[in-house]
Amino acid sequence: MADITFTLPDLGEGLLDATVLEWLVAPGDFVERGAAMVEVETTKSTVELPSPRTGVIAALHVDEGGVAEVGSPLVSFAADDDQAGIVGTVPADEVPVRRVRLTIPED
Amino acid sequence: MAETLSMQAAINTALDEILTADDRALVFGEDVGTLGGVFRVTDGLAAKHGSDRVFDTPLAESAIIGMSIGLAIHGFRPIPEIQFDGFAYPAMNQLITQLARMTYRSRGALPMPVTLRLPSFGGIRAPEHHGESLEAIFAHVPGLKVAVPSNPSDAYSLLKQCVADPDPVIFMEPKSRYWHKAEFGQPAEAAARIEAELPIGVSRVVRPGRHVTLVAWGAMVARCIQVAELAAEDGVDVEVLDLRWLKPLDVAGISASVGHTRRAVVVHEAPLSAGLGAEISALITENCFDSLRAPVQRVAGFDVAYPAGPLEDHYIPSVDRILAAVQRTLEYRRG
Amino acid sequence: MKTDDDTARRLYRLMVTTRALDAEATVMQRQGIIPGYAPLKGQEAAQIGSGAALDLARDFAFPTYREMGVAVAMGVDLIGYFASHHGSWHGGLYDPLASRFAPINAVVAGSVLHAMGWAKGEKLSHGTGVSLAYFGDGASSQGDVHEAMNFAGVDDLPVIFFCQNNGWAISLPTERQVAGGSVAARAAGYGLAAEVIDGNDVVEVFEATNRALQRARSGGGATVIEAMTYRVGPHSTSDDPGRYRSIGEEQSWALLDPIDRLAQQLRAAGADDAFFESARTDARETVETVRTGLVDMTDRPLTELFDFVFTNPTPRLLEQRDAYLSNAYLSNEYASEATHG
Repeated sequence: MADITFTLPDLGEGLLDATVLEWLVAPGDFVERGAAMVEVETTKSTVELPSPRTGVIAALHVDEGGVAEVGSPLVSFAADDDQAGIVGTVPADEVPVRRVRLTIPED
Repeated sequence: MAETLSMQAAINTALDEILTADDRALVFGEDVGTLGGVFRVTDGLAAKHGSDRVFDTPLAESAIIGMSIGLAIHGFRPIPEIQFDGFAYPAMNQLITQLARMTYRSRGALPMPVTLRLPSFGGIRAPEHHGESLEAIFAHVPGLKVAVPSNPSDAYSLLKQCVADPDPVIFMEPKSRYWHKAEFGQPAEAAARIEAELPIGVSRVVRPGRHVTLVAWGAMVARCIQVAELAAEDGVDVEVLDLRWLKPLDVAGISASVGHTRRAVVVHEAPLSAGLGAEISALITENCFDSLRAPVQRVAGFDVAYPAGPLEDHYIPSVDRILAAVQRTLEYRRG
Repeated sequence: MKTDDDTARRLYRLMVTTRALDAEATVMQRQGIIPGYAPLKGQEAAQIGSGAALDLARDFAFPTYREMGVAVAMGVDLIGYFASHHGSWHGGLYDPLASRFAPINAVVAGSVLHAMGWAKGEKLSHGTGVSLAYFGDGASSQGDVHEAMNFAGVDDLPVIFFCQNNGWAISLPTERQVAGGSVAARAAGYGLAAEVIDGNDVVEVFEATNRALQRARSGGGATVIEAMTYRVGPHSTSDDPGRYRSIGEEQSWALLDPIDRLAQQLRAAGADDAFFESARTDARETVETVRTGLVDMTDRPLTELFDFVFTNPTPRLLEQRDAYLSNAYLSNEYASEATHG
């Protein structure tokens, strides 16, 4: 499935970019929406960005110490391919229970 | 190298590749854009291909189909989604009186390359009209084609065939199988594989056997494979035929399978009466009458509205109901 | 926009031709040349004024089954158009793509959504074309009309919803059909522009349609035009309006006849007898051509019963066709062989 990519948001009025200080997640990690994801430094302050989504991290687009521009890719999540729909439940793969027995035909 | 993939991911991959390859292809419907579909089948497609190619529509199924017709007249290749099987009912007028007939009405001047993706069938404990099996209704309408995948690989290749076809196709996705993972080639291999895929309207023997043929489609294919494994415990060798296409029906494939097993059981979730089991049973009688060792059996949903909760386990053909039908064909003696 | 004299004369000629063809169609029905027809007498201005405003290089019209005047205005092959009423082919024998005129559609309001979808395609293609959906006061009760207007409003689509309010949906009068008394009033709920116009004034219809076209071409979205007119004749050649409306009502509308009204204006502007005579002569020639075409029209080849169901037909359909065309179905062997493959 296609990855879902998030860009660096504008963290304050008129900011153009931010420096990534430390990633708190790594590719392959499962993170909850709202959990601390990355620490970045802007010209105004140092802030911790929360994860915008629940899911598995597919890629980090800026190395620690690197500069991310506002609007450019920051992090990608792997699209989850085994979650239930908006209604209903994922059926379990169960071993069927049988009562009927068969007889082998003569031919 | 093979990896395992779920059907929802396989369909997503197919849509992604279709959108990349054909700039006339459009994916649209309720919640398919930003949300990525209620089953996440279109996840990430709007972000990748843009909101002109993958877009949300207001909540009106008749308009989704009517819009598809107008887009097709304009030269686009629409791939609309109707969110659930039962939501197709409000669109039936546009599907039957317009989409299915526009090519005929216009004497071929207005082809309708529309593939309607319709999450279908039951088995997920969903609310009312989220578990319907409408294939007999669609297959009965001149001008519509009907395809039903049973596994991720088929979902990928069948969807690509449907979109490439110049006619309207109802692509019924068995939602109880969305999450089941199966072996699937890498997309590049898969793309190459499409060239070698079965032609439109061809079925596949997914498990060979010699005593009896189970004819099925969608989620019932997996159940019939379970039945075949149970039958093997008793020494009975069951062949499972996955129809894949319900219109056109693979008359030759059905005849070839039943011609050598000489017994047939048709299995579907839709209600029994006037279901496709009747059509397939009639075809077997017309084509294999002299070979048959027993009357064709049907195992189907009951003639009731699709039920709620645990009752659906009784409605959907169970392994015991299918085994009992198999046994009826095995023990039948001409009177 | 002011409609110039040449345009007014062109609209007049088209209306006269339409009136003559319409009358002849009823005659042909009475003579057994065509089995049925839906007369439009009284609605010529609404149809000609709107159809003649379209640009055939970029616009597209979606008719119902009572838009013969639009077909005349858009230059559709009229023998091909009447082939539908002739019973030769549902939808007509003209080329809908070349004509920019969708196949005749018998499902009330069915094609309104198609016009909306075409407009979506035009917007996605960054074109300046506009689609025009024809429907009536009766069709305005159908949900498809509302869904189309809502979609068009949400997406600002270049479409004109052209309602010919002709007073009657077979036997039901507008006041029993349209709550609130106006189709155009509904546009406000969808954020669409709307105009209620005198549908028997061809110049007003032409100018209102041009305003709506201009609005749509410049990104201003959809317009609902409600052209108030009157179906002077019956719903169809087998309908008897005497069962549901009065002679007095019909006569009061006769005073508002769209052709008479424009004729008076043209005369006042200097049109002479020769102009009116040439309009009548042209109309007679068109009528004669269409009539001859229909009298000479042969049945469609039998293979066409099967040919257009699919672009890529199913084996079973081809087998049904081949067996029937070759008379093989009469043979006993057919039953056991036909359904193989």
